[in-house]
Amino acid sequence: MTARRDEILEIIRDTRSLPTLPGVVNKLQALSENRKSTIEEMARLVSSDQILCARVLRLVNSPSYGFYRVSTITNALILLGVNVIKSLALSSSIFEIMEKSILGLWEHSLGAGVAANVIARRLKLPEVEEISTAALLHDIGKVIIKEKCPGDFEQVESLMKARDVTMLEAEREVLGTDHAEVGEWLVRSWYLPDKLSEPVACHHDVARAEAHQVKTAVVHLADVLVKASGFGFSGDEFVPRIQPVAWERLQMTDADLAAIVEELEDKLVEAKNFSLEIQSADDGTA
Amino acid sequence: MTAPLRIVVVGGGGVVDGPLPLRLQSKGYQVVTLAKPDEVMGFIYSDPPDVVLMDLTDATEEVLAIITSLKDDFFFSTIPVIGMIPEADAELFDWERCPLDDYVSIPMHYRELFTRIVLSLRRLRRVFDNNPLTKLPGNTSIQRAIEQVVGRPMAVCYVDINHFKQYNDVYGFAHGDEVIRMIARIISNSVKEAGGGFAGHIGGDDFVFIVPQEQAEAVSERVIANFTAIVSELFDEEVKCNGYYLAHDRKGHEEKVPLLGVAIAIVPTDYPKIAHYAKVAEAAAELKKLAKKSHKSCFVVDRRKY
Repeated sequence: MTARRDEILEIIRDTRSLPTLPGVVNKLQALSENRKSTIEEMARLVSSDQILCARVLRLVNSPSYGFYRVSTITNALILLGVNVIKSLALSSSIFEIMEKSILGLWEHSLGAGVAANVIARRLKLPEVEEISTAALLHDIGKVIIKEKCPGDFEQVESLMKARDVTMLEAEREVLGTDHAEVGEWLVRSWYLPDKLSEPVACHHDVARAEAHQVKTAVVHLADVLVKASGFGFSGDEFVPRIQPVAWERLQMTDADLAAIVEELEDKLVEAKNFSLEIQSADDGTA
Repeated sequence: MTAPLRIVVVGGGGVVDGPLPLRLQSKGYQVVTLAKPDEVMGFIYSDPPDVVLMDLTDATEEVLAIITSLKDDFFFSTIPVIGMIPEADAELFDWERCPLDDYVSIPMHYRELFTRIVLSLRRLRRVFDNNPLTKLPGNTSIQRAIEQVVGRPMAVCYVDINHFKQYNDVYGFAHGDEVIRMIARIISNSVKEAGGGFAGHIGGDDFVFIVPQEQAEAVSERVIANFTAIVSELFDEEVKCNGYYLAHDRKGHEEKVPLLGVAIAIVPTDYPKIAHYAKVAEAAAELKKLAKKSHKSCFVVDRRKY
């Protein structure tokens, strides 16, 4: 099993890019061709897509720029400048295109980012944008497994069907690791700061978080709430329970949770509309 | 031991597949060949090489756009770009549109290529007075840029960072340098996104940018807003909540230092009293005292038209 782990680490070391939905790429290119598009418009789009988001953060945190810990898309775009993003976007293969089967996972990530934003604002936590970004990225390990280890991914899927286990359990059995750890490896090898990598690594085991316990608890809660809402598809239908340690870390009451769930319902309707817009931008006419 | 120089070779054609990569490696260069033009910018942006070699045989628009993208961004414009051009095409090449630093003709004379690589690196070091930390133009270029705008409806804007010295003392010079690189990028991006102008690094935490007069306040506001956003990356949650951190002054007394901010002095250059470079600097020095009185980021415009 350790051999497979090493192989995956090796794959991650060679991974410079990951595919995303064609609609996202088309939208980004349309924004880039428009001379008048602003940093805010670009930031909004990049913050909705886990792959774009990770790519942009990788770029701004790459050692050549000499910035050590840029953790939000707004700040990444401020430092890189709109022109760098534009010329990247227009060189198309930078963002490979992903097949539609991953739309469910894409929506799940978008939903988790939205949920984390709702939670962080409701609980008046600092660094809301960082928390939303971490939530957006929390399942990026699943993209690696699906895209870079398709054989393993098939095994994971058939194991889930055969034994009715969660994706996490199936991954551990097939790979000797899971998407949380794989995601952490990727995010670290792309130089993203700890406040993003720790919530990615520990979103299924909040107690393991050290430096960023609150952020990790929010990402865990966001993941659970989005699964429970039925928005998107993260890989299986199981809804895990909210870990008691997450309640503690967030010092959250039942009333808080009820308010969060209510607001989230509205926000997920907006997210659904955005997703439909992205899907219709597929043919490049939007 | 210094790290080997890194060369990116761009081009779909024969040059990339031929002996060129091997010949470069034998000279101790680290070589990356990129056959597809659409992967070039992504590669260079995330991992800038020391030299770029481009095969311009039947170059497409996409390939030529790489050259202008590189030369448009000050951060990458110091990387020498050497074109490899078929001998017959060289004379008619459009140098205006493709700002190459040098060229070699195809068929290649490798010894000449090696010499040109070394020469282009030396020449860039000599010609540019760019600040090594930020790669922005330095004082010679700044003086020249100011002299060019005196008497015209432009504005020279001086930027410096408030409480930078204390930040450097408390957080260390590596983080201090990071702040300097950040403000450099913010200034040059803001200038570029407002339609263009000049950005330069005087030294330390002192910067200059030049834009048309009617743009000066908007660009200054942009620089301040963007710097304020970036400052959130530089301090931990507790410091951000408090709004200050603790430092010790020269006598060892503890003092509360406010978070970093910027002060900008805007000097319009079409007033009769601003007759030459020294006057611009003089007016700016006075204004900066005013801007510095505020603990928050702000800009001050010189409106004394005498």
